[in-house]
Amino acid sequence: MKRLIYSTLLIFLMASSCTERIDLTLDETYTRLVVDGGISNDTASYQVSLTKTADYFYNEPAPRVVDATVRLSDGINSYALHETDPSVSGIYETDSTFSGIIGETYTLDIDLSEPIDGETNYSASCRMMKVARLDSIQLVLQPDWGTDGVWEIRVFAQEPGDEVNYYMFHYFRNDTLMTDSIWKVAVSDDKYINGNYINGLAAVYINNANFWETVHPGDKVTLRMSGITREYYDFINQVKISGINIPFFTGPPANVQGNVNNGGIGFFAAYSNSWASAIVK
Amino acid sequence: MKFFFLTFFPLLYLLSSSPVMADEDLPKKWTISGTIRDASNGEDLTGATVFVTELKSGTVSDFYGNYSMTLPEGHYTIQYSFVGFRTIQKKVFLDNNTVIHIELSPAAETLNEVEVMSDQANKNVARPEMSTFKMDIKTIKSIPSLMGEVDIIKAIQLLPGVQSVSEGGSGFSVRGGAPDQNLILLDESTVYNASHLMGFFSVFNNDAIKDVKLYKGDIPPIYGGRLSSVLDVRMKEGNSKRFEVTGGIGIIASRLTVEGPIWKDRISFIVSGRRTYADLFLALSSEEALRDNKLYFYDLNAKVNYRIDENNHLFVSGYFGRDVFKNDFAKMSWGNSTGTIRWNHLFSKKLFANFTFVYSDYRYMLGTPEGTTTSFEWNSNLRDLGLKGDFSYYINTNNTLRFGISGTYHMISPGVAGGTGSESSYTEVKVPDNYSLETGIYAGNEQKVGEHWTFKYGLRFSLFQNIGPGTVYNFDSLYNPIDSTVYPSGQFYNTYYGIEPRIGILYTFNEKSSVKVSYSRTNQYLQLAQNSTAGTPLDIWFPASPNVKPQVADQGAVGYFRNFRRNTIETSVEVYYKHMNHVIDFKDFAQLLLNDKLEGEIREGKGWSYGAEFLVRLSEKKFGGWVSYTLSKSMRQIPEINNGDPYPAPYDKPNNIAIVANYQFLPRWSVSANWVYATGNPVTFPTGRAEIGGKVIPIYSDRNAYRYQDYHRLDLSVTFSSKVNEKKRFKWDINLSIYNVYDRHNTWSINFVQDEEDPNVTYAEKIYLFGIVPSVTFNFHF
Repeated sequence: MKRLIYSTLLIFLMASSCTERIDLTLDETYTRLVVDGGISNDTASYQVSLTKTADYFYNEPAPRVVDATVRLSDGINSYALHETDPSVSGIYETDSTFSGIIGETYTLDIDLSEPIDGETNYSASCRMMKVARLDSIQLVLQPDWGTDGVWEIRVFAQEPGDEVNYYMFHYFRNDTLMTDSIWKVAVSDDKYINGNYINGLAAVYINNANFWETVHPGDKVTLRMSGITREYYDFINQVKISGINIPFFTGPPANVQGNVNNGGIGFFAAYSNSWASAIVK
Repeated sequence: MKFFFLTFFPLLYLLSSSPVMADEDLPKKWTISGTIRDASNGEDLTGATVFVTELKSGTVSDFYGNYSMTLPEGHYTIQYSFVGFRTIQKKVFLDNNTVIHIELSPAAETLNEVEVMSDQANKNVARPEMSTFKMDIKTIKSIPSLMGEVDIIKAIQLLPGVQSVSEGGSGFSVRGGAPDQNLILLDESTVYNASHLMGFFSVFNNDAIKDVKLYKGDIPPIYGGRLSSVLDVRMKEGNSKRFEVTGGIGIIASRLTVEGPIWKDRISFIVSGRRTYADLFLALSSEEALRDNKLYFYDLNAKVNYRIDENNHLFVSGYFGRDVFKNDFAKMSWGNSTGTIRWNHLFSKKLFANFTFVYSDYRYMLGTPEGTTTSFEWNSNLRDLGLKGDFSYYINTNNTLRFGISGTYHMISPGVAGGTGSESSYTEVKVPDNYSLETGIYAGNEQKVGEHWTFKYGLRFSLFQNIGPGTVYNFDSLYNPIDSTVYPSGQFYNTYYGIEPRIGILYTFNEKSSVKVSYSRTNQYLQLAQNSTAGTPLDIWFPASPNVKPQVADQGAVGYFRNFRRNTIETSVEVYYKHMNHVIDFKDFAQLLLNDKLEGEIREGKGWSYGAEFLVRLSEKKFGGWVSYTLSKSMRQIPEINNGDPYPAPYDKPNNIAIVANYQFLPRWSVSANWVYATGNPVTFPTGRAEIGGKVIPIYSDRNAYRYQDYHRLDLSVTFSSKVNEKKRFKWDINLSIYNVYDRHNTWSINFVQDEEDPNVTYAEKIYLFGIVPSVTFNFHF
């Protein structure tokens, strides 16, 4: 729904405005810890990335936080995460046998070797929500949309009516993850579909003009639908819109609201997955 | 209520009765009254001056051209005058109640006779109103236009104390107030969204407008419901003497007005229409996606005016406008409709009354094309039904009493959204409708004491009630909704009231200079859920309620007014201070659309603004214009925003300059220019960055701690007119306007983006709306 409004107004705007790159001098602010990672109920090895904030025009990869002690707990068991890859620092991984349990609340606990912003201990908690079962998906091309058409990944599933649900969508092309950065990820609430049978609503739109992410007949496309918390849903929306200021519909800029305490930024997420695949005709 | 009657009636008695004396000793008093009209088309003249030379005082005609003066028996020379018209002088021996109707003729273009300049051309000095500006349509038409359409809202942004909120938009801020704090009236009906096409054009068609007056402060007791200003726009009644057609053909839009008598001098009508064809330009766009889009607006103004007899005048007027936008996968439309029926009745030579019934409607629709399971439609509307009674009682030359009562019933449907079609996957989501009643009772007197002093004092009592059916959510201290209370139909479940004094004092040193002081308190019960810098048509008005207190403002102003050179040069300086309580702002990442718990997104606090406004206005026969400079500050302080620290309001622009000039250098050629300058808008910029999921996100500073670059722009226009020949009825002119002559790319917004090649690199990107925009319009009149 929101996407509808934004894209409508954006199209009108494109017709009338112009952009140019400018030089800007900005002030600096104190350094903060940034946490980025998540776990799900599938068995796999999960990563949490720890970095630091920098000046806005730093223009280098984010400075990594190394030698931290990172643990994951569900209240009973505790799992350690390790920097396993020697070539990449600041990424902490679980064992490859880890899987989360739906309904549990997971807390990520971080002890830093050096304090950031006066703190050495940070933590973030997230509850793993359940997700409806995906019956099937369908790939449909809309040839008149955009410059070369737009592929829709349409969903068929029964939406549970007795609770408020939030969804996140990722897709794979021939088993390779295509939604590899956060702005390609689609999210949705269930305001308009609560309790309904979802009969082919499009969850993901793929711009056919982008050759690196588009699909072709014969490809196997897999959709991963995840059940996420309200906080993670808000977080993803806020991240996607951050930095963008369109006077008609964005409000005053504000800092994204994550779930890391002590002034840390970012989100540690827990979610459960439902999968379905289809071959593009 | 009791308060009103206890003070009003004794006041009336005191002011109108004479002290006890023998009848023969007292000079008898008689009333001169009548109507002042334009001789060329029969239009009532508002604010025409009636000046009694022997007494050095007089009165002005009201909105319907009526005037009344009560004077002692005797000989008088009365001057009737109005700007742009030839003054008429009448010698009268007053020994009875006399009715004198006057028709003033427009001053001819080439004037060979000496024009009698009435002393009352110094109205800005001699009238006790301050902080007001009467815009005359001729001035508005002479201002260079954007895309061929000149409008009132753009013109008032050239006045001191009035700031634009966002380029191109028609939201404006008066003395540091928010854009929803301006009461915009069209023939007494509230206009909720005064803009077409996102604000590039306003809903007012100049050819149908007679009168525009802006009150920036010192708001008279007859107006209520908004904190910062009143823009009172009155439509023409229609030429009651002969048919008249006015129109224009421009690049973006064309307009046509037809007016004339249905019954000569008794019934007249005026119909005005306008439509754009901007979508034709989209068809030429290089973006294929845009070519099939529809983007247009149209509006229609209509009015019928019936002079039943000398004491009764009936007006029926309406406005209907729509904006439509459609492309392959979305459609959107919105618009206002207003209708008013007014009965102007003269109870006696001294007591005039006006009764008005008002209907106002604003609605919008957004949706996807029908016929699929994913079709979707969202509708929202706001309707007002109002009744008003306003009275003017011209007690004697020194006292004019105005009082009245009004009530408006607001019906707001904030949003209903859902799928269309039987196979839809979407359920309907509805934000509950809300109903409220806004009432006002006022009384005020304008009293002249001696030769130098005039006192204006009045009181407005306002009442606001929420009426069921309604649902009110209860929130905890963290603004989480706990539960809700549902009220049945017809139940008055919440009441707010306000006591709003309006006071003004004028001291005239002489005919050329004066000083004025004013104080007013205003309450506002309806506000706009608008979080963006420029408004959108999707913004929704919401009422005060158990969770939302009414906004209240106190404003004081002092001004010095001085005219030079037979009133052809007017100068003024005004200093004001305004304090607002319960101003609203929204929490970070507020969800305003289709949110039934909208009240949980609101944060309230206080605001204050102060400034000094300087104006020098020149009006010679061939050359005119003004220079305005405003120095001001507008701040907000709201507990949960910016850590509770004060921050600049989004329209705080310390320096604002406008220079407007027009010059008729040859009988058929005139040129006009305006140059505007304003400090850049306050903005929140990043001071750091974090990397999340492959995206670089900004870490922001304190709210509004930075500014965009300063805004300035020059517009020019040249007009070539048909030969000035009184006998020829068909007159035309061609106007060439150039907006933003030196092509300054004024910042509209700045985005922070990641480089596509190297995602680690971020840069700032400025969006600007207009480069240099020329336009040509052909106007005609017969």
